[in-house]
Amino acid sequence: MKMILVRKFRVLILMVFLIACTMHIMIDLLPKLEKRATRSDGEVGCSCTHNLNEDWGKQRPKNTAESGWPNKHTLRILQDFSSDPSSNLTSHSLEKITGIMDKNDSFKKLEQRETVKDSNNKQLIQDGSIKKPQPGLGYSRLAALFQHPLYKSAIPELTEDDVLFNVNSDIRFNPKAAENQDWQNVGNEPNEEEEFLPTGEAHVDSYPNWLKFHIGINRYELYSRQNPAIGALLQDLSSQKITSVAMKSGGTQLKLIMTFQNYGQALFKPMKQTREQETPPDFFYFSDYERHNAEIAAFHLDRILDFRRVPPVAGRLVNMTKEIRDVTRDKKLWRTFFISPANNICFYGECSYYCSTEHALCGKPDQIEGSLAAFLPDLSLAKRKTWRNPWRRSYHKRKKAEWEVDTDYCEGVKQTPPYDGGTRLLDVIDMTVFDFLMGNMDRHHYETFEKFGNETFIIHLDNGRGFGKYTHDELSILVPLNQCCRIKKSTYLRLQLLAKEEYKLSKLMEESLQMDKITPILFQPHLDAMDRRLRIILKAVSDCLEKLSYDNVVENDLDSDLNNK
Amino acid sequence: TMDYNGSKLQHLFSHHLYTVQPTKPPAHHLLLNAHETIRYHRKRIISFNRRRRSHHVDQNGTSQFINADFDFYTPWLQFHLGISKDALYPRSSPVVEQLLEKISNLTIIHADYSPDDKALNGECDCSPIVKPSGTHLKLVLRFQDFGKAMFKPMKQNREDETPEDFFYFVDFQRHNAEIAAFHLDRILDFRRVPPVSGRLINVTEDIFLAAGNSELQTVFFLSPADNVCFFSKCLYMCKTEYAVCGDPHIIEGSLSAYLPSLSYAPRHSVPNPWIRSYTFTGKEEWEMNPSYCDSVKHLHPYTNPRRLLNIIDMAIFDFLIGNMDRHHYEIFTKFGDDGLLLHLDNARGFGRHSQDELSILAPLYQCCMVKDDTWQRLNLLALPEYRLSDVMRESLSADPLPDVLTEPHLLALDRRLQRILEVVRQCAQTYGEEKVVLKNMRKFPR
Repeated sequence: MKMILVRKFRVLILMVFLIACTMHIMIDLLPKLEKRATRSDGEVGCSCTHNLNEDWGKQRPKNTAESGWPNKHTLRILQDFSSDPSSNLTSHSLEKITGIMDKNDSFKKLEQRETVKDSNNKQLIQDGSIKKPQPGLGYSRLAALFQHPLYKSAIPELTEDDVLFNVNSDIRFNPKAAENQDWQNVGNEPNEEEEFLPTGEAHVDSYPNWLKFHIGINRYELYSRQNPAIGALLQDLSSQKITSVAMKSGGTQLKLIMTFQNYGQALFKPMKQTREQETPPDFFYFSDYERHNAEIAAFHLDRILDFRRVPPVAGRLVNMTKEIRDVTRDKKLWRTFFISPANNICFYGECSYYCSTEHALCGKPDQIEGSLAAFLPDLSLAKRKTWRNPWRRSYHKRKKAEWEVDTDYCEGVKQTPPYDGGTRLLDVIDMTVFDFLMGNMDRHHYETFEKFGNETFIIHLDNGRGFGKYTHDELSILVPLNQCCRIKKSTYLRLQLLAKEEYKLSKLMEESLQMDKITPILFQPHLDAMDRRLRIILKAVSDCLEKLSYDNVVENDLDSDLNNK
Repeated sequence: TMDYNGSKLQHLFSHHLYTVQPTKPPAHHLLLNAHETIRYHRKRIISFNRRRRSHHVDQNGTSQFINADFDFYTPWLQFHLGISKDALYPRSSPVVEQLLEKISNLTIIHADYSPDDKALNGECDCSPIVKPSGTHLKLVLRFQDFGKAMFKPMKQNREDETPEDFFYFVDFQRHNAEIAAFHLDRILDFRRVPPVSGRLINVTEDIFLAAGNSELQTVFFLSPADNVCFFSKCLYMCKTEYAVCGDPHIIEGSLSAYLPSLSYAPRHSVPNPWIRSYTFTGKEEWEMNPSYCDSVKHLHPYTNPRRLLNIIDMAIFDFLIGNMDRHHYEIFTKFGDDGLLLHLDNARGFGRHSQDELSILAPLYQCCMVKDDTWQRLNLLALPEYRLSDVMRESLSADPLPDVLTEPHLLALDRRLQRILEVVRQCAQTYGEEKVVLKNMRKFPR
């Protein structure tokens, strides 16, 4: 008797469960059915179809994104056409034949369009006429700086050997890629400019900003001064939807590779220290934390110095649940997520430095700050060469490096290729100036693009260890300048300019950094430290000038430009 | 009652609750036999000095060589000989004061890794979240009188609290918590924590030069700020922890007197029935089951009510210091289930003064019983003339290190004491006081 009761009871439970399931499914389906119904009833003719079309455009890329991984096929095509070695036209094909003057004009056209579109960029781009800086309301020091003649010198005319990728030709040779419009719709807004452009150029302008950045790379710069894509790329980095996340292997500290909706990729460094914290005095340069705000500030500093050798970096508040944990396929990363006793979401990842529970990165409760640095072109498309910094530190607690002992060290370097010719040594000095301003002691290597051989700029990657101490100026970073007593005239003049009150470096940096989403980026004492360090650099140059003649110290790279013209 | 104006600490220790003289423990209630102990150490000291001397010659030591030597009255030996079944040291014992004084002054002649550290055998697995205790930075220092102490260097400023996102098993080890825990334990009259004193240590002379172990010397280095630093090999390798550094040579630390060697006074390490999960998400049975204590009562050795009451004493102690990391406790094998529980390793206490972790009190509120004498003392310490924070402040002022605990930590003790009293009062309301406050007993009340 009892058994039968129990059995009946079981059957009952099963029934209830089944009913609940069907109800659940019905409820889920209901709103969709309703929507479909209202759509076909509630709206009138033409506008209705228009709406549907718009929905389509938005829906399609979303679906690919939802499926988790970017469409590999599309991605490959995208990358392929930008790498074809047989191509012979440049990213500046628009201007190529007309020469520098015309080129500037066409840039202006781009600028004007951009100013309408992106008010953030206003300060960067202004009309050609040079005005005296006039302090006052709405006055921008940064705009004034970029109007200065020192920031107007043009790079030499580009030949096909001087650009990293040749684009248009590839599109012509690869009609499939040109037709494939997937990624065009993925971007923020539909492109309104298309109609203004000659039909042949339509694709270039509808490229995602990261691609525009890549194709703009040439022998002399990572991006041109007024490249509108850079401002837009910074915007993308801080707002585009993140579709997948992976851990970067091989690095010492935790970094994540983030892929966006438009297939752009960026390196994410999470916040580890507050803005006010300094590196503890007993920390060695190689055990220091990497700071996300240093990465951001380094990009802005590099642009203010007009080096343009740092890939664009933007700050961003990332939702750790939705934008990291839920979109990663990396089990190792996923496994390290936990909820802290204070109910915050934390994770620590896997790496060789500071990847343990003790150094877990915690959100508030799930928002974490970080820097997103735009990726350089894939190594398979644009090989890079890694060079050992001649003034590399020993990376040992007790040993000293040769340059720390030998005062004539630079003489040896000057006779060693590639430092015996070209501008390489001067570029290293530029880097020294840059690193000293930030206090970055961790510059063990630097990179160049292989395609450009030895006559090219050096890329300033990995600046996370700058801005660690504002109370201390690490004079040993400046040793290359002290030992070699050489500097580019353009750099020297710009440094002198930035020491002037109306172009004060700290004020310019402050203004530039205000454009970032997670501003303030630097603690005020760090900004003030840069002014102090700038004076130390200028003093070092004038010390050299006392010992040696002007021409021996200051390399006239400006005149050589004029001669070329 | 009025506030007491003289020394509250002396006032406390002269209260009849602290002066009830128990009968002198019979010989079989003592841990050690004096005769055997002395003979054992006489033998060891000879080989110890020989080894050190040859090492000294190998190193071409120019400094004066100090022989270790001891006499019968040396405090550490008297401390060992005084350990009984009831407590680590007798009440108001002059030996403890003498020992504290020696620990903070005597010349350090030898430094070495801790036995835990040695047991790891240089191997280090960075993957487990909870690392074995040997990985924490602590050293064994030996004094001129052959006494030993465990050294834990300062890791955190007094004012810093444990970050809110830290789990109990990744919390810092605080030297000042070790010191304060000893004083609190004495004030509660538990006497289950070995004497601890603060001391300024010269990293170079007291550790680096005294390290007979040349492997220990490899973990020393000069920092960029020219301070002498050293690190825990494993944690440094795993990059979970940076080195500790002197300024440039001097560093604060706690020195905890050594207990008799395990080789002739073996101890048992017993898991705490109220252990935590030591994972990010897991929960233990006691955290879900309010009647957990009923099952513990049927579990050997807690069928003996005195053992369970000792666990509750320990919970009260841990709640006062905010120590969530009591996964194991130790007992002397010789005394069996009736003996005292040792409250070792208290460095994770005193991490948060702004928070009271009530779950530490689970044994008290789940079992609803407390020793009669503990209850009386807790009530006493809540009175203004014996106020816990005041007697602690006074007791700690005897330590060589200034301000062992900051004011907020001292005041938190008073607040937590009130919460303990509340819990007991609530229990008494529910079950009646005679079933909650228990005199020395052999069976659980029905």
